[in-house]
Amino acid sequence: MDQEINFNQVTHTYQVNTPFAQDALDNVSVTIAPGSFTAIIGHTGSGKSTLVQHINALLKPTTGEIAVYGRTINPNTTNKNLKQLRKHVGMVFQFPEKQLFEETVIKDIMFGPKNYGVSEQDARRDAEDAMKLVGLDENLSEKSPFDLSGGQMRRVAIAGVLAMKPQILILDEPTAGLDPRGHKEIMDLAQELHDQQHMTIILVTHQMDDVVDYASDVIVMDQGKIVKHGNPQEIFSNPQWVYSMHLDLPSSAEFATRLVDEGVPLRHTPLTIEKLADEIAQLVQGGQEHE
Amino acid sequence: MSNFLFGRYLPGKSWVHQMSPQSKLMLSFYFVIVIFFANNVWTYASLSVLILIVVVMSGVSIGYFLKGIRPLIWLIIFTVLLQILFSSGGHVYWHFGPFSVSDTSLINGGYIFVRFLLIIMISTVLTLTTTPLAIADGVQTVLKPLKKVHFPVDTLALMLSIALRFVPTLMDEMETILNAQRSRGVDFGSGSLKHRIQAAVPLLVPLFTGAINHAENLSTAMEARGFTDSEHRSKYRVYRWQRKDTISWVAFLLVGVLVLFIRNN
Amino acid sequence: MKDIIQIKNISFNYPDQPLLFDKLSMDVHEGEWTAIIGQNGSGKSTLARLIDGLIVLKSGQIVVDGLTVNDENIFEIRNKIGMVFQNPEDQFVGATVEDDVAFGLENRQVPREEMHRIVEKSLRQVGMWEFRDRIPANLSGGQKQRVAIAGIVALSPKIIILDEATSMLDPRGRQEILSLVNEIKKQNKLTVISITHDIDEAAGADWVIVVNNGAIVEEDKPDNIFGDIEKLESIGLSAPFTSQLMTALKARGIDSHSQYLNDERLITWIKKLISTK
Ligand SMILES: Nc1ncnc2c1ncn2[C@@H]1O[C@H](COP(=O)(O)OP(=O)(O)OP(=O)(O)O)[C@@H](O)[C@H]1O
Ligand SMILES: Nc1ncnc2c1ncn2[C@@H]1O[C@H](COP(=O)(O)OP(=O)(O)OP(=O)(O)O)[C@@H](O)[C@H]1O
Ligand SMILES: [Mg+2]
Ligand SMILES: [Mg+2]
Repeated sequence: MDQEINFNQVTHTYQVNTPFAQDALDNVSVTIAPGSFTAIIGHTGSGKSTLVQHINALLKPTTGEIAVYGRTINPNTTNKNLKQLRKHVGMVFQFPEKQLFEETVIKDIMFGPKNYGVSEQDARRDAEDAMKLVGLDENLSEKSPFDLSGGQMRRVAIAGVLAMKPQILILDEPTAGLDPRGHKEIMDLAQELHDQQHMTIILVTHQMDDVVDYASDVIVMDQGKIVKHGNPQEIFSNPQWVYSMHLDLPSSAEFATRLVDEGVPLRHTPLTIEKLADEIAQLVQGGQEHE
Repeated sequence: MSNFLFGRYLPGKSWVHQMSPQSKLMLSFYFVIVIFFANNVWTYASLSVLILIVVVMSGVSIGYFLKGIRPLIWLIIFTVLLQILFSSGGHVYWHFGPFSVSDTSLINGGYIFVRFLLIIMISTVLTLTTTPLAIADGVQTVLKPLKKVHFPVDTLALMLSIALRFVPTLMDEMETILNAQRSRGVDFGSGSLKHRIQAAVPLLVPLFTGAINHAENLSTAMEARGFTDSEHRSKYRVYRWQRKDTISWVAFLLVGVLVLFIRNN
Repeated sequence: MKDIIQIKNISFNYPDQPLLFDKLSMDVHEGEWTAIIGQNGSGKSTLARLIDGLIVLKSGQIVVDGLTVNDENIFEIRNKIGMVFQNPEDQFVGATVEDDVAFGLENRQVPREEMHRIVEKSLRQVGMWEFRDRIPANLSGGQKQRVAIAGIVALSPKIIILDEATSMLDPRGRQEILSLVNEIKKQNKLTVISITHDIDEAAGADWVIVVNNGAIVEEDKPDNIFGDIEKLESIGLSAPFTSQLMTALKARGIDSHSQYLNDERLITWIKKLISTK
């Protein structure tokens, strides 16, 4: 089956034909490759969340169509028969801990699989696997999810999506509000799911450092349009453009720019700390060798 | 869901927007009272014409307006059906156990439907054209006399304004939770009644905890900004009685008289 | 330097929960930008709420600008402190931008004419005057936070507390809010307390307080705090960018032999390395 995600001239207007109408996507065409780790960035309100919610047909396009997993979603798509699609496309919303409702952690994680007709036993097994994956201790399974810390609740919510064994995982700002350790753990989890379980990961984020550390593809959105799609190197090659998009350079590139302004002759704009250190080392040690 | 209009404010500069909140509020009350005097086709028709004129003057398109209150119409139809089935008298067309349908119950059902519709329409116009704070302000002024009997008028008014302010926020939140649970395989709005009720739990629990959370955050934010009680506050906006208010009152009073005149006695 | 906030031996717990703070003491220096960092659940927001008298101490004392936080002084204390919270949606009380900024003034029974003057001035200061008629639904997160800041500026406080106020914003929005607060801080000689998970933001502060499990692990200048990366990492925090770069350089045989350098000093050092090669 064709596994790529294909947007074909998709437009989305919220509350269309009302005085509250709000254009959120404007003629978007893009292909997200299977197995990629794609980051979606852009200013607040640029349409990132709207875009990703089309992938599992939570939102239907106002015009245009989306092809995903052999399904075509167009303005006439109804809410029927979308279960298979939604099982393939796991969606972790911003602040996903808000969706928890069961009495115990394990029950909440089992909720998804059971909706897809998995037996109680298998659902429990899938849930336990998912708990391990996100690093939740076994002895938490009978606790109420509401008694957990913020970071743990977030993990329960993510486990609830992973238990359905999706092939595409969409993460909408999964680390908002987490402390540095929690942040790193969630991002490392995404990487592990990508590298080891071969999931397609789509990450909506405001953290440029995560983009260069984890993503292979980047989509930049501005006022409902996709204004750039490429690898991190291409995206961050023009600082002025990046700023005009309400975005930032990754810390290393930002620092490198400042070094260049101060007269340090760096040849490339390094995106990661390792590359920046390489560049500096080359300048320093390369020079020493010449002496 | 996102089309739902009841309780939302739409910024604008229409005739109705510019009226003073007190007079809009009083007019709405007055209109509701008049509705209960209506008892035949002509009285209901004249009130309907009046409300349609009001909707037009609020700058919202009628088609859209009707679409926006549609979710509530189902609720009314349900109530009306119960009313029809359980009332008795008149010529009976059909009956089964305690249920029956007769000509009088049908006609009464129809009137009740229109009555509900009129009430919903006038209150929707009120919230669409009046900011939550202004409504609260109106309530405060209107209920002022009750202060003498130590009724907490100011607090009530403030609570109302905050409730209204949070209608859109909670709607958005509801939509997010619906979508989150849909992604986990819930089929809302399909299957048996039992299934549907079960499907509501994963929606209602998070919605409830979310609402409490918002309320807590908001009250913290309000306190941090020096709010103690709603009584000792000055007012940023004043709403003066204008000619528009006078004209509207005259029109509404005339229709009221008309209704008294043409109703069946 | 004068301590504008003095926290002396405070203890506190939420109902039916163990003690969160047990005899905690700390001070905030007037006119400085103090960053508070720490893991999720370490008690940062609770501390902020205690300072503003939004929740009540079990024992101990908090003094804000010479006034003890208690029922009697609460109104005056809140006049001195402006708070901006994480979720822009939950602190927007008014129906429109203008009404929201006026909310705090109304609570203080400021006369109407003066109120209109102050609202305009504050909204202009944060660049939101053109948006005065907007309703919150039609504003971005960053714009809502600007309105929240205007609402605070309107009350001319002496202290601004930001509780993760920028964590829901895009990168530019985040920087704009921080530089806006910085500008207001300079103009009005304010004290700023910023609770944040952004270590690089904390590295730019005048003073850093590290909280863990309801206790203060460290309080010092960023230079000293970020000298001991292992300690920070052991309590769930991370190293600021410059430290990470220094570690990477050291692995390549380039050692600064200093514990921590901030951006400027690191740049100076690298420039020197290259020019003296
Ligand atoms: N349910 C809704 N009803 C009406 N308008 C909406 C709704 N959800 C989003 N919008 C509007 O659509 C536009 C795009 O919103 P979206 O949430 O997709 O942006 P985003 O890029 O995810 O922003 P953020 O970074 O703040 O999450 C915005 O102008 C927003 O106000
Ligand atoms: N209203 C409350 N009732 C009961 N317990 C609470 C309440 N608010 C916070 N707590 C608990 O008190 C502890 C400290 O919480 P606090 O919100 O102060 O942490 P924080 O450092 O601000 O964390 P974060 O970085 O996640 O914002 C946590 O264990 C938390 O679960
Ligand atoms: Mg979003
Ligand atoms: Mg906090």
